Amino acid sequence: MTNPILELRNIRASYGSIEVLHGVNLSIGRGEVVALLGPNGAGKSTMIKVVSGLLRPTSGQLIVGGRDVTGAAANALARAGLCTIPEGRGIFPNLTVRENLLMATYSGHKLSDIEERTYARFPRLSERRTQLAGTMSGGEQQMLSLARALATNPVILLLDELSMGLAPLIVAELYQQVAAIAAEGVSVLVVEQFARTVLGVADQAVLLAHGKVQVSGKASDIGEDVLAGAYLGS
Amino acid sequence: MNEDRIQTFTEEIGELKLRGARADRERWLLILGGLGLVAGVGLAIFGGFQASGTTNLGDQVAFLATGTLIGLALVIAGAALFIRYSIARFMRFWLVRLVHEHRSETDRVISALKEIETKLNK
Ligand SMILES: Nc1ncnc2c1ncn2[C@@H]1O[C@H](COP(=O)(O)OP(=O)(O)OP(=O)(O)O)[C@@H](O)[C@H]1O
Ligand SMILES: [Mg+2]
Repeated sequence: MTNPILELRNIRASYGSIEVLHGVNLSIGRGEVVALLGPNGAGKSTMIKVVSGLLRPTSGQLIVGGRDVTGAAANALARAGLCTIPEGRGIFPNLTVRENLLMATYSGHKLSDIEERTYARFPRLSERRTQLAGTMSGGEQQMLSLARALATNPVILLLDELSMGLAPLIVAELYQQVAAIAAEGVSVLVVEQFARTVLGVADQAVLLAHGKVQVSGKASDIGEDVLAGAYLGS
Repeated sequence: MNEDRIQTFTEEIGELKLRGARADRERWLLILGGLGLVAGVGLAIFGGFQASGTTNLGDQVAFLATGTLIGLALVIAGAALFIRYSIARFMRFWLVRLVHEHRSETDRVISALKEIETKLNK
Protein backbone atom coordinates (compact mmCIF):
# COMPACT_ATOMS: atom_id res chain seq x y z
CA MET A 1 0.00 0.00 0.00
CA THR A 2 1.42 3.36 -1.02
CA ASN A 3 1.25 6.40 1.22
CA PRO A 4 -2.10 8.18 1.39
CA ILE A 5 -2.41 11.12 -0.97
CA LEU A 6 -4.50 13.05 1.51
CA GLU A 7 -4.53 12.87 5.27
CA LEU A 8 -6.16 14.82 8.07
CA ARG A 9 -4.59 14.42 11.50
CA ASN A 10 -6.55 15.45 14.53
CA ILE A 11 -8.05 18.49 12.80
CA ARG A 12 -9.92 21.02 14.86
CA ALA A 13 -11.69 23.92 13.17
CA SER A 14 -13.98 26.67 14.31
CA TYR A 15 -15.97 29.63 13.09
CA GLY A 16 -15.14 32.46 15.44
CA SER A 17 -15.25 31.01 18.93
CA ILE A 18 -17.50 28.09 18.05
CA GLU A 19 -15.61 24.90 17.41
CA VAL A 20 -17.21 22.76 14.70
CA LEU A 21 -14.65 19.98 14.17
CA HIS A 22 -13.29 18.41 17.33
CA GLY A 23 -10.28 16.42 16.23
CA VAL A 24 -11.01 14.62 12.96
CA ASN A 25 -8.81 12.01 11.29
CA LEU A 26 -9.11 10.85 7.71
CA SER A 27 -6.90 9.24 5.12
CA ILE A 28 -7.40 8.69 1.39
CA GLY A 29 -5.26 6.55 -0.87
CA ARG A 30 -4.66 6.96 -4.60
CA GLY A 31 -7.70 6.28 -6.72
CA GLU A 32 -9.78 5.68 -3.66
CA VAL A 33 -13.33 6.96 -3.17
CA VAL A 34 -14.13 7.95 0.39
CA ALA A 35 -17.69 8.79 1.36
CA LEU A 36 -18.13 11.36 4.09
CA LEU A 37 -21.57 10.92 5.57
CA GLY A 38 -23.47 12.58 8.33
CA PRO A 39 -26.56 14.56 9.29
CA ASN A 40 -27.09 18.31 8.72
CA GLY A 41 -24.63 20.45 10.60
CA ALA A 42 -22.26 17.59 11.31
CA GLY A 43 -19.36 19.57 9.87
CA LYS A 44 -19.02 17.86 6.49
CA SER A 45 -18.78 21.05 4.47
CA THR A 46 -16.44 22.49 7.05
CA MET A 47 -14.17 19.51 6.51
CA ILE A 48 -14.19 20.14 2.77
CA LYS A 49 -13.26 23.76 3.45
CA VAL A 50 -10.33 22.67 5.60
CA VAL A 51 -9.08 20.18 3.01
CA SER A 52 -9.33 22.69 0.17
CA GLY A 53 -7.43 25.29 2.21
CA LEU A 54 -10.32 27.72 2.51
CA LEU A 55 -10.56 27.39 6.28
CA ARG A 56 -7.47 27.25 8.45
CA PRO A 57 -7.74 24.61 11.16
CA THR A 58 -7.13 25.80 14.70
CA SER A 59 -5.00 22.74 15.31
CA GLY A 60 -4.05 19.50 13.61
CA GLN A 61 -2.36 18.81 10.32
CA LEU A 62 -3.45 18.65 6.69
CA ILE A 63 -1.12 16.42 4.72
CA VAL A 64 -1.23 16.30 0.94
CA GLY A 65 1.08 14.17 -1.15
CA GLY A 66 3.10 13.40 1.97
CA ARG A 67 3.72 17.00 2.91
CA ASP A 68 2.26 19.02 5.74
CA VAL A 69 0.43 21.84 3.95
CA THR A 70 -1.60 23.18 6.86
CA GLY A 71 -2.17 26.85 6.16
CA ALA A 72 -1.36 26.72 2.44
CA ALA A 73 -3.44 29.01 0.25
CA ALA A 74 -6.50 27.46 -1.37
CA ASN A 75 -5.62 28.77 -4.83
CA ALA A 76 -2.15 27.25 -4.67
CA LEU A 77 -3.54 23.86 -3.64
CA ALA A 78 -6.11 24.08 -6.41
CA ARG A 79 -3.47 24.88 -9.00
CA ALA A 80 -1.45 21.86 -7.97
CA GLY A 81 -4.44 19.58 -8.56
CA LEU A 82 -6.74 19.56 -5.56
CA CYS A 83 -10.09 20.36 -7.07
CA THR A 84 -13.29 21.23 -5.23
CA ILE A 85 -16.88 21.16 -6.40
CA PRO A 86 -18.65 23.14 -3.71
CA GLU A 87 -22.12 22.66 -2.33
CA GLY A 88 -24.75 24.15 -4.61
CA ARG A 89 -23.39 25.12 -7.97
CA GLY A 90 -19.90 25.11 -9.30
CA ILE A 91 -20.77 26.67 -12.63
CA PHE A 92 -21.49 30.06 -14.14
CA PRO A 93 -25.25 30.03 -14.77
CA ASN A 94 -25.19 33.02 -17.09
CA LEU A 95 -22.62 31.52 -19.45
CA THR A 96 -23.22 28.79 -22.00
CA VAL A 97 -21.92 25.25 -21.53
CA ARG A 98 -19.09 25.97 -23.92
CA GLU A 99 -18.15 29.21 -22.18
CA ASN A 100 -18.14 27.39 -18.86
CA LEU A 101 -15.66 24.93 -20.29
CA LEU A 102 -13.65 27.83 -21.65
CA MET A 103 -13.29 29.02 -18.06
CA ALA A 104 -11.43 25.83 -17.27
CA THR A 105 -8.73 26.56 -19.83
CA TYR A 106 -6.88 28.67 -17.26
CA SER A 107 -5.36 25.37 -16.17
CA GLY A 108 -3.42 25.36 -19.42
CA HIS A 109 -5.44 22.87 -21.45
CA LYS A 110 -6.81 23.64 -24.89
CA LEU A 111 -10.54 24.24 -25.21
CA SER A 112 -10.83 21.71 -28.03
CA ASP A 113 -9.23 19.00 -25.86
CA ILE A 114 -11.46 19.84 -22.92
CA GLU A 115 -14.55 19.80 -25.12
CA GLU A 116 -13.62 16.50 -26.69
CA ARG A 117 -13.08 14.80 -23.33
CA THR A 118 -16.20 16.34 -21.82
CA TYR A 119 -18.55 15.36 -24.61
CA ALA A 120 -17.14 11.86 -24.70
CA ARG A 121 -17.90 11.49 -21.01
CA PHE A 122 -21.17 13.40 -20.96
CA PRO A 123 -22.84 13.12 -24.37
CA ARG A 124 -25.81 15.02 -23.04
CA LEU A 125 -23.74 18.17 -22.65
CA SER A 126 -22.70 18.05 -26.26
CA GLU A 127 -26.28 18.65 -27.40
CA ARG A 128 -26.44 21.64 -25.12
CA ARG A 129 -23.16 23.36 -25.78
CA THR A 130 -24.74 26.69 -26.66
CA GLN A 131 -27.40 26.64 -23.95
CA LEU A 132 -27.11 28.88 -20.90
CA ALA A 133 -25.86 26.67 -18.08
CA GLY A 134 -28.37 28.10 -15.63
CA THR A 135 -31.27 26.91 -17.77
CA MET A 136 -30.22 23.26 -17.78
CA SER A 137 -31.66 20.67 -15.44
CA GLY A 138 -30.00 20.19 -12.07
CA GLY A 139 -28.39 16.92 -13.13
CA GLU A 140 -26.96 18.45 -16.28
CA GLN A 141 -25.60 21.34 -14.25
CA GLN A 142 -23.81 18.91 -11.96
CA MET A 143 -22.43 17.06 -14.99
CA LEU A 144 -21.07 20.36 -16.19
CA SER A 145 -19.42 21.12 -12.86
CA LEU A 146 -17.86 17.65 -12.87
CA ALA A 147 -16.66 18.23 -16.42
CA ARG A 148 -15.18 21.58 -15.48
CA ALA A 149 -13.38 20.01 -12.54
CA LEU A 150 -12.00 17.18 -14.68
CA ALA A 151 -10.77 19.62 -17.30
CA THR A 152 -8.17 20.80 -14.82
CA ASN A 153 -6.73 17.27 -14.59
CA PRO A 154 -7.08 16.97 -10.81
CA VAL A 155 -5.33 14.45 -8.60
CA ILE A 156 -7.76 14.87 -5.74
CA LEU A 157 -11.42 15.71 -6.20
CA LEU A 158 -13.65 16.99 -3.40
CA LEU A 159 -17.40 16.76 -4.00
CA ASP A 160 -19.88 18.39 -1.66
CA GLU A 161 -23.43 17.06 -1.96
CA LEU A 162 -23.49 16.29 -5.63
CA SER A 163 -26.99 14.90 -5.23
CA MET A 164 -28.65 17.94 -3.71
CA GLY A 165 -32.15 18.27 -5.08
CA LEU A 166 -31.72 15.62 -7.78
CA ALA A 167 -33.77 12.57 -8.66
CA PRO A 168 -32.28 9.23 -7.50
CA LEU A 169 -31.82 7.99 -11.04
CA ILE A 170 -29.75 11.03 -12.00
CA VAL A 171 -27.73 10.70 -8.80
CA ALA A 172 -26.91 7.10 -9.63
CA GLU A 173 -25.79 8.17 -13.09
CA LEU A 174 -23.55 10.89 -11.65
CA TYR A 175 -21.97 8.43 -9.24
CA GLN A 176 -21.23 6.05 -12.08
CA GLN A 177 -19.17 8.87 -13.53
CA VAL A 178 -17.47 9.43 -10.20
CA ALA A 179 -16.55 5.75 -10.07
CA ALA A 180 -15.12 5.99 -13.59
CA ILE A 181 -13.07 9.02 -12.59
CA ALA A 182 -11.66 7.19 -9.58
CA ALA A 183 -10.83 4.21 -11.75
CA GLU A 184 -8.48 6.51 -13.68
CA GLY A 185 -6.55 7.12 -10.46
CA VAL A 186 -8.15 10.27 -9.11
CA SER A 187 -8.76 10.20 -5.36
CA VAL A 188 -12.24 11.35 -4.47
CA LEU A 189 -13.76 12.59 -1.24
CA VAL A 190 -17.55 12.70 -1.54
CA VAL A 191 -19.82 14.37 0.95
CA GLU A 192 -23.33 13.00 1.01
CA GLN A 193 -26.19 13.29 3.39
CA PHE A 194 -28.06 10.31 2.00
CA ALA A 195 -25.82 7.37 1.88
CA ARG A 196 -27.21 4.57 -0.18
CA THR A 197 -26.10 5.55 -3.68
CA VAL A 198 -22.66 6.71 -2.72
CA LEU A 199 -21.87 3.64 -0.63
CA GLY A 200 -22.22 1.62 -3.81
CA VAL A 201 -19.20 3.32 -5.39
CA ALA A 202 -17.15 4.18 -2.29
CA ASP A 203 -14.23 2.14 -0.94
CA GLN A 204 -14.25 3.65 2.52
CA ALA A 205 -16.92 5.47 4.47
CA VAL A 206 -16.57 7.90 7.30
CA LEU A 207 -19.53 8.89 9.41
CA LEU A 208 -19.33 12.31 10.94
CA ALA A 209 -21.68 13.64 13.62
CA HIS A 210 -21.29 16.55 16.00
CA GLY A 211 -17.88 17.32 14.56
CA LYS A 212 -16.41 13.91 15.35
CA VAL A 213 -15.86 10.74 13.38
CA GLN A 214 -18.36 8.27 14.80
CA VAL A 215 -17.72 5.31 12.54
CA SER A 216 -15.22 4.67 9.79
CA GLY A 217 -14.39 1.62 7.79
CA LYS A 218 -14.95 -0.22 4.54
CA ALA A 219 -18.01 1.12 2.76
CA SER A 220 -19.41 -2.38 2.39
CA ASP A 221 -19.30 -2.84 6.17
CA ILE A 222 -21.48 0.15 6.90
CA GLY A 223 -25.01 -1.14 7.10
CA GLU A 224 -28.36 0.53 7.37
CA ASP A 225 -28.43 -0.05 11.13
CA VAL A 226 -25.20 1.89 11.68
CA LEU A 227 -26.46 4.74 9.53
CA ALA A 228 -29.85 4.88 11.17
CA GLY A 229 -28.19 4.94 14.58
CA ALA A 230 -25.97 7.83 13.61
CA TYR A 231 -28.67 9.91 11.98
CA LEU A 232 -31.40 9.36 14.48
CA GLY A 233 -29.57 8.56 17.70
CA SER A 234 -28.07 11.08 20.11
CA MET B 1 -3.69 8.46 -14.32
CA ASN B 2 0.01 8.10 -14.86
CA GLU B 3 2.91 8.35 -12.44
CA ASP B 4 4.04 11.60 -14.05
CA ARG B 5 0.92 13.42 -12.97
CA ILE B 6 1.38 12.23 -9.38
CA GLN B 7 5.02 13.21 -9.59
CA THR B 8 4.31 16.77 -10.74
CA PHE B 9 1.53 17.00 -8.17
CA THR B 10 3.79 16.10 -5.26
CA GLU B 11 6.49 18.39 -6.64
CA GLU B 12 4.10 21.32 -6.83
CA ILE B 13 2.78 20.57 -3.37
CA GLY B 14 6.37 20.41 -2.16
CA GLU B 15 7.06 23.88 -3.53
CA LEU B 16 4.04 25.50 -1.91
CA LYS B 17 4.83 28.40 0.32
CA LEU B 18 3.38 28.07 3.77
CA ARG B 19 3.25 31.60 4.99
CA GLY B 20 0.73 32.34 7.72
CA ALA B 21 -2.73 33.31 6.68
CA ARG B 22 -2.61 36.38 4.48
CA ALA B 23 -5.71 37.86 6.04
CA ASP B 24 -3.87 38.11 9.33
CA ARG B 25 -0.92 39.94 7.85
CA GLU B 26 -3.23 42.36 6.12
CA ARG B 27 -5.03 43.14 9.33
CA TRP B 28 -1.77 43.81 11.13
CA LEU B 29 -0.54 46.15 8.40
CA LEU B 30 -3.82 48.02 8.58
CA ILE B 31 -3.49 48.41 12.35
CA LEU B 32 0.18 49.35 12.01
CA GLY B 33 -0.78 52.04 9.51
CA GLY B 34 -3.37 53.43 11.88
CA LEU B 35 -0.93 53.45 14.79
CA GLY B 36 1.77 55.12 12.69
CA LEU B 37 -0.70 57.80 11.69
CA VAL B 38 -1.69 58.56 15.28
CA ALA B 39 1.87 58.42 16.62
CA GLY B 40 3.05 60.70 13.81
CA VAL B 41 0.44 63.35 14.53
CA GLY B 42 1.26 63.17 18.24
CA LEU B 43 4.97 63.53 17.60
CA ALA B 44 4.48 66.45 15.22
CA ILE B 45 2.32 68.35 17.71
CA PHE B 46 4.72 67.56 20.53
CA GLY B 47 7.67 68.83 18.47
CA GLY B 48 5.74 71.97 17.58
CA PHE B 49 4.92 72.76 21.22
CA GLN B 50 8.46 72.09 22.36
CA ALA B 51 9.81 74.31 19.62
CA SER B 52 7.52 77.22 20.46
CA GLY B 53 8.29 76.77 24.16
CA THR B 54 11.89 77.80 23.73
CA THR B 55 13.50 80.89 22.21
CA ASN B 56 16.81 79.20 21.59
CA LEU B 57 17.01 78.79 17.84
CA GLY B 58 19.25 75.74 18.07
CA ASP B 59 16.77 73.96 20.34
CA GLN B 60 13.89 74.92 18.09
CA VAL B 61 15.55 73.43 15.04
CA ALA B 62 16.38 70.27 16.98
CA PHE B 63 12.80 69.88 18.22
CA LEU B 64 11.36 70.49 14.79
CA ALA B 65 13.77 68.05 13.21
CA THR B 66 13.22 65.18 15.64
CA GLY B 67 9.58 65.85 16.50
CA THR B 68 7.82 67.45 13.62
CA LEU B 69 9.76 66.03 10.68
CA ILE B 70 9.84 62.44 11.91
CA GLY B 71 6.21 62.87 12.92
CA LEU B 72 5.29 64.03 9.43
CA ALA B 73 7.15 61.14 7.87
CA LEU B 74 5.27 58.73 10.11
CA VAL B 75 1.97 60.37 9.21
CA ILE B 76 2.62 59.97 5.51
CA ALA B 77 3.82 56.37 5.76
CA GLY B 78 1.03 55.43 8.16
CA ALA B 79 -1.63 57.04 6.02
CA ALA B 80 -0.32 55.27 2.93
CA LEU B 81 -0.47 51.86 4.64
CA PHE B 82 -3.86 52.56 6.11
CA ILE B 83 -5.41 53.73 2.86
CA ARG B 84 -3.84 50.91 0.85
CA TYR B 85 -5.28 48.20 3.07
CA SER B 86 -8.65 49.73 3.80
CA ILE B 87 -9.24 50.28 0.08
CA ALA B 88 -8.27 46.67 -0.59
CA ARG B 89 -10.78 45.56 2.01
CA PHE B 90 -13.49 47.72 0.62
CA MET B 91 -12.88 46.70 -2.98
CA ARG B 92 -12.96 43.02 -2.08
CA PHE B 93 -16.22 43.43 -0.26
CA TRP B 94 -17.63 45.38 -3.15
CA LEU B 95 -16.58 42.77 -5.69
CA VAL B 96 -18.23 39.97 -3.70
CA ARG B 97 -21.37 42.03 -3.52
CA LEU B 98 -21.39 42.66 -7.25
CA VAL B 99 -20.91 38.98 -8.03
CA HIS B 100 -23.68 38.10 -5.63
CA GLU B 101 -26.10 40.60 -7.07
CA HIS B 102 -25.27 39.54 -10.58
CA ARG B 103 -26.08 35.94 -9.69
CA SER B 104 -29.45 36.66 -8.18
CA GLU B 105 -30.23 38.91 -11.13
CA THR B 106 -29.54 36.03 -13.51
CA ASP B 107 -31.68 33.72 -11.41
CA ARG B 108 -34.57 36.16 -11.66
CA VAL B 109 -34.20 36.52 -15.41
CA ILE B 110 -34.07 32.77 -15.88
CA SER B 111 -37.12 32.11 -13.73
CA ALA B 112 -39.01 34.88 -15.53
CA LEU B 113 -38.09 33.30 -18.87
CA LYS B 114 -39.28 29.93 -17.64
CA GLU B 115 -42.54 31.39 -16.51
CA ILE B 116 -43.09 33.01 -19.89
CA GLU B 117 -42.23 29.75 -21.57
CA THR B 118 -44.77 27.75 -19.57
CA LYS B 119 -47.40 30.40 -20.19
CA LEU B 120 -46.74 30.32 -23.93
CA ASN B 121 -46.92 26.55 -24.00
CA LYS B 122 -50.37 26.53 -22.46
N1 LIG C 1 -19.64 30.44 7.88
C1 LIG C 1 -20.07 29.96 9.06
N2 LIG C 1 -20.09 30.72 10.17
C2 LIG C 1 -20.50 30.23 11.36
N3 LIG C 1 -20.93 28.98 11.54
C3 LIG C 1 -20.93 28.15 10.48
C4 LIG C 1 -20.52 28.60 9.18
N4 LIG C 1 -20.64 27.57 8.32
C5 LIG C 1 -21.12 26.54 9.04
N5 LIG C 1 -21.29 26.88 10.33
C6 LIG C 1 -21.79 25.99 11.40
O1 LIG C 1 -20.91 24.89 11.52
C7 LIG C 1 -21.64 23.68 11.73
C8 LIG C 1 -21.25 22.67 10.67
O2 LIG C 1 -21.63 23.17 9.40
P1 LIG C 1 -21.35 22.42 8.03
O3 LIG C 1 -21.75 23.32 6.94
O4 LIG C 1 -19.95 21.92 8.03
O5 LIG C 1 -22.35 21.19 8.14
P2 LIG C 1 -22.67 20.08 7.08
O6 LIG C 1 -22.31 18.78 7.70
O7 LIG C 1 -22.05 20.40 5.76
O8 LIG C 1 -24.25 20.16 6.96
P3 LIG C 1 -25.20 20.05 5.67
O9 LIG C 1 -25.48 18.62 5.51
O10 LIG C 1 -26.44 20.79 6.10
O11 LIG C 1 -24.53 20.68 4.51
C9 LIG C 1 -23.11 24.08 11.72
O12 LIG C 1 -23.55 24.13 13.04
C10 LIG C 1 -23.15 25.42 11.06
O13 LIG C 1 -24.16 26.21 11.61
MG1 LIG D 1 -22.76 20.94 3.86
